[in-house]
Amino acid sequence: MVILKLEHMSFKVLLVLVFTLTFGISASCAQESNKIDSTRFSKFLPDYVKLQYAGGIGFLSAGVGYTFIDHRIDVTMFYGYVPDKFTVDDLHSVSLQFTAKLIRIKASKNIEILPLNFGWYLHHTFGNEYWVKLPDNYPKDYYWWSPGRNAGVFIGGEIKTKLLSNKTPASGTAFYVRAGTRGLYVASKVGNSSIPMSDIIELGFGIAIYR
Amino acid sequence: MKLTFNIAFLAAIMFLTSCGDMFDYSSYVIDFEGENKDVNLTNIEKLSTKKSSDTIRIAFTGDTHVNFDEFEDFVSAVNNLNETNPIDFVVHVGDIADFGLPQQYLWGNSFLLNLNCPYLVVLGNHDMVGNGGLAYSEMFGEYNFSFIYAKTKFIFVNTNSMEFKFNGQVPNINWLDSQLQTADDFENAVVIFHVPPLATDFDSTLEVDFHQTIAKYNNVIFTVHGHGHHHEVYFPYSDSTPYVNVYGVEHIKYNVINISNGNFEVGTYEF
Repeated sequence: MVILKLEHMSFKVLLVLVFTLTFGISASCAQESNKIDSTRFSKFLPDYVKLQYAGGIGFLSAGVGYTFIDHRIDVTMFYGYVPDKFTVDDLHSVSLQFTAKLIRIKASKNIEILPLNFGWYLHHTFGNEYWVKLPDNYPKDYYWWSPGRNAGVFIGGEIKTKLLSNKTPASGTAFYVRAGTRGLYVASKVGNSSIPMSDIIELGFGIAIYR
Repeated sequence: MKLTFNIAFLAAIMFLTSCGDMFDYSSYVIDFEGENKDVNLTNIEKLSTKKSSDTIRIAFTGDTHVNFDEFEDFVSAVNNLNETNPIDFVVHVGDIADFGLPQQYLWGNSFLLNLNCPYLVVLGNHDMVGNGGLAYSEMFGEYNFSFIYAKTKFIFVNTNSMEFKFNGQVPNINWLDSQLQTADDFENAVVIFHVPPLATDFDSTLEVDFHQTIAKYNNVIFTVHGHGHHHEVYFPYSDSTPYVNVYGVEHIKYNVINISNGNFEVGTYEF
């Protein structure tokens, strides 16, 4: 129960964090346009915001994150939501996602194509039934997996443009697609030719706005 | 540049339209429709119009977990048997969804839908992990249910006590008692469940009550369960009520039980 409470707590903390960071970006942008020096704080601000459709982590997911190693690695925290229009009970989740951008092709002055992104994610669904640690009413190792925390992998592509860079403080906008799967789907598919590959693929696409 | 964009745009549209159902929102989305809803009720209705003979023949499988290929083979085997030696219906004794995932429910039912006879699915403990209990309700219906076929009452009872934190309500003894009470519309009864009473995941405070209720009206010919994966006919209590554990699908074997004149015999088939 303590863990469940903690999860609930961290969920709230995360929500606050996501909103603070999102509004933080726009605040810092406003500051920039007012010619106020914001470099002291800007290095802590996220490098981008993302909005993703599907991909196994929500109907819509909003994310913030940082890039490392000359924009080759993205680390993104998403909050994802599935309204009950699409399921029986609505679903709230967060995911932590690592994306490595292996190939970058400069197509023109304004367009960069990233045809091979590879990623890994941890997906955490909220709710008592989606436990992470086996609840006390079960003997040790009764179930080997946890419904609350799943891991998955994906590959994808991205097109980076200078869209929005003229009229807003954003440096550019990217559009991406991804195809992935999660561990529990792979565990279901292994050794079963009767399970169609398309059933375990999670497709998604999204938009990223860079600072 | 414009051309590149147009090609990219066209490719994106083709991509989106060709794989619409692969846009997964969450592994916990429950969105069942048509033949994936009210499955047990639909099959009970089919049985109510099915013509029965003096002998009732039921094929059992269960504990299919992630052995989907074997599950599919079981369905073909029973369909073949049904052509030559008719089966009245098939019972899956639970654990159709190993991780309780809605997608696993869909896979399991996709095989069962190919059966050429009616079928019923019991709730297993694995089926309840995550929002699996809700997925079961959406796809198969009530956790406890019963029907009468050829003067025999088939009672399906939820015995997954551990999934309910041993709350003293599972199995529901009062419901079981009410189902077994002597009535004009049936002569014998068969009780079917997933977890057997002597397992550690069965509520030990209800174990004696459970069996005494089964024996109470002297009308239960035998009980059937899964969870143990192996096959065995045994008498765990001092009276003569037989308990039948049926094969899990991974053994590439299944049991068929014939019931006639209040007696039964268990056969084993390989596939």
